[in-house]
Amino acid sequence: MSAQKPERKSTKPAEESSETEGIIRAFHALAVVVLGLALGFFVYSSTANDTSRFPFKLGLDLAGGSHLVYQADVSDIRPEEVPELMQVLKEVIERRVNIFGVSEPIVQVETSSFVTDETEHRLVVELPGVTDVEEAVAEIGRTPLLEFKLVDQSVLAGQQAQEQLEASASGTGAQIGNVRVNDQAVATGTDAAYIDTGLTGRYLNRAELQFGQGSGGLSNEPIVAIEFNDEGADLFEEITRENVGESLAIFLDGELMSAPTINEPIAGGSAIIQGNFSPDEARDLVQNLNFGALPVPIELESTQTIGASLGANILERGITAGAIGLSLVLVFMLLWYRLPGVVASLALLIYTLAMLALFKLIPVTLTAAGLAGFILSVGMAVDANVLVFERMKEEYRNGATSREAARNGFTRAWPAIRDGNFTSIISAVILFWFGTSLVKGFALVFGMGVLVSMISALLVTRTLLLSLPVTQQKEGTVTAKLTDSGLQR
Amino acid sequence: MFVAKYTKELLVAAALIFVIAGGVVGVLGLPLGIDFTGGALTEVTYSERPEKSSVESALPREQLGEFSLRQTESDTGRSGYILRTRDLTEDERIGIDEILTTAGTDGSVDRYTSIGPVIGQELMRKAMWAIGGVALIIVLYVAFAFRGVSWPVSSWKYGLITIVALIHDVLVPTAVFSVLGVLLGAEADVLFVMALLAILGYSVNDTIVVFDRVRENLVQWRQEKKEKKDTGEETITYILTKPFDEIVGTSVQQTLARSINTSLTTLLAITALYIFGGDVTQNFALMLMAGVIAGTYSSLCIANPLLIYLGRNAGETST
Repeated sequence: MSAQKPERKSTKPAEESSETEGIIRAFHALAVVVLGLALGFFVYSSTANDTSRFPFKLGLDLAGGSHLVYQADVSDIRPEEVPELMQVLKEVIERRVNIFGVSEPIVQVETSSFVTDETEHRLVVELPGVTDVEEAVAEIGRTPLLEFKLVDQSVLAGQQAQEQLEASASGTGAQIGNVRVNDQAVATGTDAAYIDTGLTGRYLNRAELQFGQGSGGLSNEPIVAIEFNDEGADLFEEITRENVGESLAIFLDGELMSAPTINEPIAGGSAIIQGNFSPDEARDLVQNLNFGALPVPIELESTQTIGASLGANILERGITAGAIGLSLVLVFMLLWYRLPGVVASLALLIYTLAMLALFKLIPVTLTAAGLAGFILSVGMAVDANVLVFERMKEEYRNGATSREAARNGFTRAWPAIRDGNFTSIISAVILFWFGTSLVKGFALVFGMGVLVSMISALLVTRTLLLSLPVTQQKEGTVTAKLTDSGLQR
Repeated sequence: MFVAKYTKELLVAAALIFVIAGGVVGVLGLPLGIDFTGGALTEVTYSERPEKSSVESALPREQLGEFSLRQTESDTGRSGYILRTRDLTEDERIGIDEILTTAGTDGSVDRYTSIGPVIGQELMRKAMWAIGGVALIIVLYVAFAFRGVSWPVSSWKYGLITIVALIHDVLVPTAVFSVLGVLLGAEADVLFVMALLAILGYSVNDTIVVFDRVRENLVQWRQEKKEKKDTGEETITYILTKPFDEIVGTSVQQTLARSINTSLTTLLAITALYIFGGDVTQNFALMLMAGVIAGTYSSLCIANPLLIYLGRNAGETST
């Protein structure tokens, strides 16, 4: 009792103040119930209504679809340019994927973190609903890789000489080996004969289909005229200026198209690609180039497809499991903890609704693992309640009134709740860092679950608990018995 | 008092569990799925499943190298096979799909996963780091949270005990998984690692619940004794008014209901997931079940006997 309260005042003000207290308490309790109903309404209406703005967002393994991971080869790129190029890559692929008409495709850059030896740069493409991954891969594969390389004449000459020798020796059974030109061994492989200039499709502005005016020969041959952006134009001018008389080879998707001789430095950034194209080929190439050329070569590293019916089935089972799990926990709480158990059950229901609402609002992409995490968190959500109730029971059996017991229960149980949940959150954070998108989904749900359950215990359980009628164990009334929990000692 | 009376027996039992579980994992091994080794997994279902031998003979053995074909019953009522191979290029995949779907009636490829070896190795490394990281942080946190009662058992010893409990909580489900691997052909994948990390984070809750009560009781049942040393400094030593064993034993008894109930509710939810959830998460659920049970057991019957053992010889008691 506070020392400031005057001892023997008339009882009326004291009663009134406890009445006001009571009204405030009832108001709080009512507010909580109304909140619960509001959440329930929101979740229900936005789920039942197909055109709602807040549907559940389903991950690939529930909705069905494809998940592709491409590895980008950044070995030829300066490190500081890599992030920018990855963004360009993302945009180029995104444009391609969008013509596919997939609803909500996801194209993301993923960089693997510090624990591996080398940093890997990847592009993750998720196509919900696309189960025939062949087409998707083929379409993405159509993105052209354009490279300009200088010809190393001496190496090329050496290679050609070797080929001629081998050709003339082929009928005779003699073997050609150890060919040396100018006392140097001939380097093998197409790469050796060509020197990278750094001028690639990333500097491309646009491409246009033209028909050649025919320099010495075929006229009306379809050619592809390309235009570089400013940076590219500068680079192009530099290369042509420094290498007059040399050949500049143009590679498309790793294949040599042509190697025209540089007659003079070319400013303005226009160039022509000719390679005996048919009109259709040239048109395709122009279209593909205009969608964007790859800034770096990419390779398909992993694929995952889930059929839609399988996904729907997993979702259905997950929901069933969740509903049953929730019911089991509710029943247990009611049987063991009786009156406080009713409070805990309400808190649990509100917790579930709050989580579902958050899933919709944030939104959180639900996966099979995420559903599992949610069900796990439902089982864990009552933990805080259990800790408080057990404490409360002790105090109650030691003679405290139910309200005092409740208050003390909360205060005394809080350190355990805090420490226990903290470690769970640590787990969730590390899982989030560790994971692929699948694991991230689980970690997010798990972590959210812990936080929301703490809040619901503090907010809902405490409020409702404190608004329960005040009894004491020794009174032995029905209410008193109902406030006690567990088995009689 | 149960814990206090049977400290020795419980410690022996704990050691036994460690040996058995460790043995199971060592002997049976942990089968690694393609998430770690790289490779491709194709799940094909039919309305009428063809004979295994006919499917096997239809596959291009030379080109494919080693592969394994496993029977499966899909959730949707169709039956089929899961084909595990090295990771396939697009063209190879298309070819294999063709062979598989035409091998039986109404065949369709329901699920396909292909993981390159680099990603697989990376995942393995990340998994180790993640598990190690979580364990480390938890131990540090426990040592920190219990710094106020570093007597008669120093707070870092609380952390040490937590590690032992954690190892147990991870070892037992892993052993269960090894058995599953032999019986059902289960393979460790990302979900497996997820289950381990979830168990780590969750099971230490239980241990903390009891330690928390021990902490409270220690404060309640100790007396301060201030001594002035010759140097003029004041030192504070503590005397327990109850033997340490009894304090721990009583703490366990007081928190028994809490520990069991919190684990029970979680177990109820996970069991529902195991029985009614899809087969994607079934092994995951089973591991979590094992983990929750192991976690409860370790908090009550491993962590506390250890605590008693460590604290037994430290400190004076007076009645």
